[in-house]
Amino acid sequence: MTNIAIVGTGQTVHSRRRTDVSQAGLAREAVVEALADAGLTMDDIDSVVIASGPAMFASVNQPEKWLVDSLGARYKPVVRITSGGGTGLAGALAAMNQIKGGFARRVLVVAYDKLSEGQLQASISTLYDPFWGREFAVGIMGFSAAYWRARMDKLGHSEEAAARVAVKNHKNALLNPKAHVKKEITVDDVLNSRPLCWPIKLLDVPPISDGACAVILAADDDALAITDTPAWIRGMAYYCEGDNVANRSMLQSEPLKLAAAQVYRDAGVTNPRRQFDVAEIQEPYTCFELSYYEGLGLCPEGGAAELIESGATTLEGDIPVNPSGGCMGANPIGATALIRLAEAAMQVTGKAGAYQVKDAELALVQAGGGWANLRGVAVVGAEK
Amino acid sequence: MSSSTRNRVAVVGSAQTVLRPAWSDRQHVDLISEAVAGALLGTGLRMEDVDFVIDSGSDFLDGRSISNCGFLGAMGAHHKEESRVEEDGLWAALYAATKIASGSARVGLVIAYSKSSESDPRNFWMSLAEPFTQRPVGLDQNSVAGLYAQRYLAAAGLQASALDAVSRYSWAGATSNPMVDADIATVDPGFWTTPIATPLRQADLARPVDGAVAMVLASETVARPMGVQPVWITGLGTAMDQHFIAGRDATSFPAAAAAAKQAYRNAGVSGASDFDTIEVSAESTVGELMVLEALGLADQGKAINLYADGAGGRLNRSGGALPANVVMASGLLRMHEVATQLSGRSDHAPEGARRGLAHGTGGLGMQNHCVITMEADS
Repeated sequence: MTNIAIVGTGQTVHSRRRTDVSQAGLAREAVVEALADAGLTMDDIDSVVIASGPAMFASVNQPEKWLVDSLGARYKPVVRITSGGGTGLAGALAAMNQIKGGFARRVLVVAYDKLSEGQLQASISTLYDPFWGREFAVGIMGFSAAYWRARMDKLGHSEEAAARVAVKNHKNALLNPKAHVKKEITVDDVLNSRPLCWPIKLLDVPPISDGACAVILAADDDALAITDTPAWIRGMAYYCEGDNVANRSMLQSEPLKLAAAQVYRDAGVTNPRRQFDVAEIQEPYTCFELSYYEGLGLCPEGGAAELIESGATTLEGDIPVNPSGGCMGANPIGATALIRLAEAAMQVTGKAGAYQVKDAELALVQAGGGWANLRGVAVVGAEK
Repeated sequence: MSSSTRNRVAVVGSAQTVLRPAWSDRQHVDLISEAVAGALLGTGLRMEDVDFVIDSGSDFLDGRSISNCGFLGAMGAHHKEESRVEEDGLWAALYAATKIASGSARVGLVIAYSKSSESDPRNFWMSLAEPFTQRPVGLDQNSVAGLYAQRYLAAAGLQASALDAVSRYSWAGATSNPMVDADIATVDPGFWTTPIATPLRQADLARPVDGAVAMVLASETVARPMGVQPVWITGLGTAMDQHFIAGRDATSFPAAAAAAKQAYRNAGVSGASDFDTIEVSAESTVGELMVLEALGLADQGKAINLYADGAGGRLNRSGGALPANVVMASGLLRMHEVATQLSGRSDHAPEGARRGLAHGTGGLGMQNHCVITMEADS
């Protein structure tokens, strides 16, 4: 049994516009920090997996071909995995398979997006079928609002419950030096903010950011030779569901449930609420964090509003969710999934600084992308 | 692959659509479905036996962001693990092989496709160039191939007319391959003479076509009892060159050599002479010569001599990628071709072929290279 660990992490300073670096420079900044964290150089890296959002987001086709120079990866295996917003986790999964499959020993995963350089919602609108879908779907907000509306009636995911997610994550982001949105808000601020696609309002939506994240993976003795504090990946999976809406549940994400079931089995998790000390989950809108509470088994179906209202998911609660601030603090879409994984590793190795969850040993990671139909889950622990 | 404790991985089925300049009466999902159904046919496996799907395609060519999302149904990926490798399908096969070798899955489906007839492939190539210094110059796939060709021919002491041997050999193969629509070579009088990027003519440059290919990979425990001839994956290698064309070696492909070296080491072979059938990808005749030299089939500047007899009848029996280049899928098509030949399912396999090599490439000016080696039971 091969156990894979995260042995180094790095993140850029995220912001709305990083005009001081190109895409290649942005990715390099995260890689330099991850290599320093691991005490390695590029000579030690066998293989590079690059993950980024859809290439149209930043208007460079196959950007890994450009990044290779700035990463110092010439003549190494370099491949790009793309899977929408969850691509960082999909990239990490590819890297794990490279190690477990005997192809490489130390793999660098780099995820980034420079969203200031493209037309984000226009790019997302091209996700839909060109003949029947693109005309009405309008970016990613349209179907997300429809999902939330359905869940509001059936599961009690009220506007106020979602507002509490925004309040919590904004508050946590104040403690995160890498976050770029640092602003305390109230439930009333969220409820009174401008409707964008009701029930989604301006403060239900995370920012749009430029940013990158890098993670270095190695197995067993290789990991222990690099660091005394590896963060062991106890399970990881990335599932999808077909694009035909008629076959999909509006209430619970089926690929999320499939991924969680597999990962919990691999990690020996039978009671997620009790066993996890902390969770980092990707919340492209506030309503999704509520939905994931249920899909990940942190509460029963229909229990998300009660969970957020109880305060259990705040930094002081028994299951803090997004102590880093989540996407509300910074949202470079292609990097957000890998940021969640890196933040989870930082928590279980005691490196999370001002937003460290005390004695965190087991962390839950969730990310997803596409048309809300690609869903990944991972478990990271201080022990193998 | 190098460790005996890893699971062995076999190709147990594969299929392609006919490769045509334009499949104007078929959608992407039609081409993908046909290849997927064909790959499973005769294996005894059904879609529900497939654990995961890895696919290759291009958002830019498809005109859709996260375009894999639109094709998940056709790919049979619903409620399975799925990932998109946005590079030639040979890299998707590499991913799938490592996933099965790791023991995390037993059966994987690999898919690659494109329909470049629906867009202008030149835009695809030009958008690969970084936007500050290279893209404004107007570099495209043809001009880059021409620049390489001038330097290569000068270094090798060859005239451009010598390249005729490469294109004639490739198109002869394609013309006898029922899966390639090769009419242009016989019906268009300008095909062999039209200059495109000095010193290259139209016939020197890979022709973009539409098509799809799918392949089923399985672990040894699944493959052995299946009753098909398994083709074992023995070596995987890949390497990327730097992006800036002016900084690259102009007369050889060191990244292709690095990829081959890694695959040969995995496979425990000494070099290209150990393979009975070899299928390579290229964007131009000169690019193909440089790949063959990087693989070790000929000394630098000497690969042209291989075309006297197709490297002893081992080279690109399908016609290769020059007559039918499905962008994002040509490398996986090469692997499909080799696997079909080694499994005894091809009518144009070299006699007694047991070991084979497939090569794929990606990026502007063939920046990225992948080599996968395979072997059938003796």
